[in-house]
Amino acid sequence: MTLALLSSRLGARQAALEYQWMMRATTAVPLDEMLARRVAGEPLQYILGDQPFGPLTIKLRSPVLIPRPETEHWTIRLAELFRPPTRQLSVLDLGTGTGCIPLLLCHLLPAGTVRARGIDISSDAVKLAGENAALCGFSASTAGSARNTFQPIQASFLDPLFPDKNLGVDPPFDLVTSNPPYISWAEYLELPASVTHYEDPKALFGGPDGLDFYHAIAALVARRGFLNPGAVVAVEVGDGQADRVQQIFQSTADLKSEIWLDPWKKKRTVVARSALAI
Amino acid sequence: MSSPEDVLHLKQLKETEPIQAAWDNWISTREALRETTALLDDPELRSMASEEYTVLTQSLTDIVKKTFPRILVPPSRTAHLSALMELKSGVGGSEASLFLEEMLRMYLRLAQESRWKATVVASNRLDSGGVKDAVVEVKGAGAYDALQWESGVHRVQRVPATEQSGRVHTSAVAVVILPLIEESDAEKEELYSMDDIKIEVMRARGAGGQHVNKTESAVRLTHIPSGITVAMQDERSQHQNRRRAFQVLASRLMQVKLRREMEARRASRRNLVKGADRSDKIRTYNYAQERVTDHRIGLSLMNLTSMMEGDGLQDFIAALRRDHEETQMEDMLLEE
Repeated sequence: MTLALLSSRLGARQAALEYQWMMRATTAVPLDEMLARRVAGEPLQYILGDQPFGPLTIKLRSPVLIPRPETEHWTIRLAELFRPPTRQLSVLDLGTGTGCIPLLLCHLLPAGTVRARGIDISSDAVKLAGENAALCGFSASTAGSARNTFQPIQASFLDPLFPDKNLGVDPPFDLVTSNPPYISWAEYLELPASVTHYEDPKALFGGPDGLDFYHAIAALVARRGFLNPGAVVAVEVGDGQADRVQQIFQSTADLKSEIWLDPWKKKRTVVARSALAI
Repeated sequence: MSSPEDVLHLKQLKETEPIQAAWDNWISTREALRETTALLDDPELRSMASEEYTVLTQSLTDIVKKTFPRILVPPSRTAHLSALMELKSGVGGSEASLFLEEMLRMYLRLAQESRWKATVVASNRLDSGGVKDAVVEVKGAGAYDALQWESGVHRVQRVPATEQSGRVHTSAVAVVILPLIEESDAEKEELYSMDDIKIEVMRARGAGGQHVNKTESAVRLTHIPSGITVAMQDERSQHQNRRRAFQVLASRLMQVKLRREMEARRASRRNLVKGADRSDKIRTYNYAQERVTDHRIGLSLMNLTSMMEGDGLQDFIAALRRDHEETQMEDMLLEE
């Protein structure tokens, strides 16, 4: 009965797939309840409580942003840029959410080469990112020099005083990543309910034109001593924003960048590199 | 430290061990037989000696008939490989799907008995019961060599549970066994170059990114030179589906490569060999007669129940393996 409803909502093929995933799920939630919640419009990823991200399984709870396949794709490609690693990498992820980006980097790069910090304004996100760091074995608290580590920190990177001296966020960085909120006012009203009803607006809404956070990130990395020579700044962008974000990095931070396509051939990631020598 | 040459020599030495062992066994058995023969004339020991004489003669015969020929069979190039198994229901509709489900159980049981690790990586269950198609990964040394004989069309003749009038239906399930190729093997065998592969994501995603949280993970690969395509959608992430798809692609290309190697060997011997085309009907399961017939070796066993619920399949696999070894030996003799 519920399965038929699910089928009419999602189409037979997708319903069959999701039904199998629910049956295979490791959560304590009964199948009936999972089906009912899915039919009511809750995203599958929250119902199952996790999402594969590269070879990792990322724990998930509403309202922290669900990791997207586009982000998985560019993060894997980004890791390739640093292989083989020539030095220790100091990594900063802005708006870290579940922590999926830095955790996948920790997983893909050789042990002992990555020290990552992730900033998020939401306490839900910081708590979840901490749990994920522990689950993936990259907790900073159980440090040893031969391991990659990730530490989530609650703060606002829009704050002009960011990073506070006592925060433990100490520049310079070799890699700054971000999947910042990039949905504009106009677009926010058009989003599907599965996004707006369940995912944190703070992780989605990027100001009137969706570009507020790119201005802030560009200003941040433009500060003297924030980036090491040859550092990389990689940010995910919304459909149609790539060229404008590229201009923002050029004009605000004097950074040259390239644009990466996602698997659907959309301009998805702006990757800037700071000059090698000063 | 051992040099690569040392490793090679050691490997050769290791490979000749069975020959030495068989020869030593032959010599010592023959010597024992010679000593026993002498005792046959001894009135006190005669009865004991004659018993031993029979046993030893039998051992010598076994060595000649079984041990020596087995040494002649070249070691299998695929002995270490795991298997990837694809089952598809054919003619017979839902009845074929019901039978496919039973076959699936048969293979999973074989894997368990053989200590292989079997995982159903993709399957299409039908609401009406049964499984329309399935892909099973069977991991463990020897899995491919044992299962490869299962490739082909399996025919079932029975009265379906759903049939009211009691009429016998004939339906079919097609099985394809591929060598399971791990990433490291794929590189070693140089099966494909990334430049030859087109990667596509299946459905449109609108704006994508933060705008959409629908699970959209299906992936399709096309190997342009061969035209082989592989689609995967059973996993929840793109990355997982991509890995699986590459594994299936590598397995298919490996099979093509193995077949080409085999054909090259055969062509050089100008020898006609019965083909194992995947469209050939290889086996019939007849429920009314409790009979299973393998058409390639003309073997019929009245063991259908054991086949579907016990370890009957192993008898067929052993017979097919023996037949294969004999064929290989005949090939070698023709070559001389």
